[in-house]
Amino acid sequence: MRYIVGYTADARGAEAVRLALALGGGLSRDGEDTHLDIAMILPEHTPFSATYPGGDHGYRSIIAEQVDAWANEALQLVPTGVSARAVVRSAPSEAEGLDDLARESGAGLIVIGGRQGKLASRMGPGSVATALLHSASVPVAMAPVGDGGTIPQGLDRVTAFIGTRPGAAAVVETAAVAAGRRGAELRVVSLLGQDGGTEGQLATWRAELKGHVAAVVHEARIRAETIVAEGRNIEEAVQALPWQRDEVAVVGSSRLAHRRRLFLGATAQRMLRTLTVPLVVVPRDHQPPAPVGA
Amino acid sequence: MTHIESGTGPEGRVAVDQTGGLGEKGLSKGAVGVLGAVVIGVSCIAPAYTLTAALGPTVAEVGTHLPAIFIAGFIPMLLVALGYRELNSAMPDSGTSFTWATRAFGPWIGWMGGWGLIAATIIVLSNLAAVAVDFFYLMLAQITGRPELADLTDVLWLNIATTLVFIAGACWISYRGIETTKSFQYVLVAFQLLVLGWFAIAAFSHVANGSAFDATPISWEWFNPFGVGSLTGFAAGVSLSIFIFWGWDVTLTMNEETKDPDKVPGRAATLTVLVIMAIYMIVSLSVISFAGIGDTGLGAGNPENQESIFAVLAGPVMGPFAILMSLAILSSSAASLQSTFVSPARTILAMGYYKALPPGYGKVSPRFKSPSTATITAGVAAAAFYVVTRTLSENALWDTITALGMMICFYYGVTALACVWYFRRQLFSSVRAVVFKLVAPLIGGVILLVMFVKTAVDSMDPDYGSGSNIAGLGMVFILGVSVLLLGVIVMFYMRWRHPAYFTGGTLTRLK
Repeated sequence: MRYIVGYTADARGAEAVRLALALGGGLSRDGEDTHLDIAMILPEHTPFSATYPGGDHGYRSIIAEQVDAWANEALQLVPTGVSARAVVRSAPSEAEGLDDLARESGAGLIVIGGRQGKLASRMGPGSVATALLHSASVPVAMAPVGDGGTIPQGLDRVTAFIGTRPGAAAVVETAAVAAGRRGAELRVVSLLGQDGGTEGQLATWRAELKGHVAAVVHEARIRAETIVAEGRNIEEAVQALPWQRDEVAVVGSSRLAHRRRLFLGATAQRMLRTLTVPLVVVPRDHQPPAPVGA
Repeated sequence: MTHIESGTGPEGRVAVDQTGGLGEKGLSKGAVGVLGAVVIGVSCIAPAYTLTAALGPTVAEVGTHLPAIFIAGFIPMLLVALGYRELNSAMPDSGTSFTWATRAFGPWIGWMGGWGLIAATIIVLSNLAAVAVDFFYLMLAQITGRPELADLTDVLWLNIATTLVFIAGACWISYRGIETTKSFQYVLVAFQLLVLGWFAIAAFSHVANGSAFDATPISWEWFNPFGVGSLTGFAAGVSLSIFIFWGWDVTLTMNEETKDPDKVPGRAATLTVLVIMAIYMIVSLSVISFAGIGDTGLGAGNPENQESIFAVLAGPVMGPFAILMSLAILSSSAASLQSTFVSPARTILAMGYYKALPPGYGKVSPRFKSPSTATITAGVAAAAFYVVTRTLSENALWDTITALGMMICFYYGVTALACVWYFRRQLFSSVRAVVFKLVAPLIGGVILLVMFVKTAVDSMDPDYGSGSNIAGLGMVFILGVSVLLLGVIVMFYMRWRHPAYFTGGTLTRLK
């Protein structure tokens, strides 16, 4: 499978490369080679933002050399044995550039780094991530936002989050393919926020969700652990789940998405701020590229 | 859209594409026609801003000979720009006064050429922000119908605070690499020309109806540059008019971005100058006809009015529609403020890259792919320059514009002579070379450097410009010379601490 790595020459870019390697690196079980396209997106220059007073001021040659150096640095991050290339293109926005590259090259996943620092979990994902999570046409993997998160070094387990709305099958299948490729376990989780429900209602909801998760897993004809995670709200439900070091979470796209596009729903946004593992968001009606494994 | 790649094989060895750099090809190229290039040219000149900033100070120097001096000021600009075009096509990748002058004259003059450009753009940044702030408060007053709001710009601390906010905002936008779009530029330029035209027609109809402040009949004498009388006035007038055409040369140096590099730049430059000249002529004639050059009331010679002529005249001339003038000037100066940041930032970046400044200045933001340290430095410098000028001078805008004219004369002059020297072995290879590589830049460069020296000497007079002075030394002289001296100090510091550039280790002089 091809991965588009949204690279910037900083900690976030290095994180994206590490995440892509964790998801697809090493030997894949299905025999299909992993290939990383390490992509740097340059701003698209329009002559209509001419500089005043005129002249290029040496900018073009300096930036070109800098980008070459960055590309070399990025390729050094990829270990021997993994195929990778550096790709540079200019586009109106970073999100647009990455998505275009993914569609043109038939990539299965766009991988981006998270926002670092103390305030990060409160501020949510950065502007590039937000734009991608609201428009990409292929799944997007994002490193955890904030301090608590770590980048996995491999993949031991994949957790698919599903709700009761249509689209759960695509999420579970995508998660199954990702898990199958690396021989990882699969877990299918539904979240239950207790706030506002009486004991009686909660029992009913719990039973419904359990049945729903089991049905989806059965329909997909896969083996997976199924869980209904509870907490007073979504954040607490996510935090109540045990997580492994080498794990990723997979969620679906909101109903607001155009067909085959991403739109990060409100629940997923809240999860993103709480999760300590990378999150993969799957577009609505997404067809996983490979047959379901295992 | 450009796309390029380099790869590693499965064995993981890095093999960057040998056919050329990734980055070079990743940069996109545009395609503009003549109309687009004219819009870019006019937008770079920002006529609504230049007129309000320069018209008053120029009238103070040359009186009714405003049209003559505007035309006279264009001639050295044209001559120098022709040399620029030659340098730009010979060294398209390093199009800056700094690199050109270094290649021609070696590190010392090259360094000062770069410093001159940075200083000029820093000064214009602080002036642009100040003009934007004036019209921001004026527009607030016009919108709310409370004239006292316009006076807020005279409250020193509030004025400084607002100006710093404007500078910081533009710096941030520039740092993020946000670019202006085509439709925005078209609207901005059309609006400016429309409002300036409206102003002129309204002023002339006041003259015709007898309701002008000081109706002054237009005379051919206004077009006679020799009527100025004193060389001091002439030199000051020319360096001010250099400022009003500053930015025009972009049209000439746009090559790869145009649909037809052989035809578009030349035609666009010609058309741009015709449009600009027409608007400058109509507006300056209308201002003098309407207001005269008297030094009382609305007169264009009144020092009270000279900092920002339209702030005073738009109301009486355009009536309730004066708010359109405020909007035109506010929008054009705010847009220029943002686009002007790019220039000093890129030159500082280039100087950092070639180690003429500490290497940290050569940093490029990994996220926004824009000069990071350099952009912030430019913002801090512009803010500092404004705070110093505003606190020292009662007429900060006026003095900065005059000091700016001086600085432009300096670095344009140096660059023009760099053109002659750079091409010294091919000067007589063809008639074309004689004209564009020797005669035009030589005459243009000499005129500008003479204007620079003359203005510098004259400005020592405490009565020069707005009349601000410190210990009997004119404010303009202090501003201009201390900025250049600061450059000399930094240059020697760099020679001492980081000699690589000065010993030819990074950018060599072409022998």
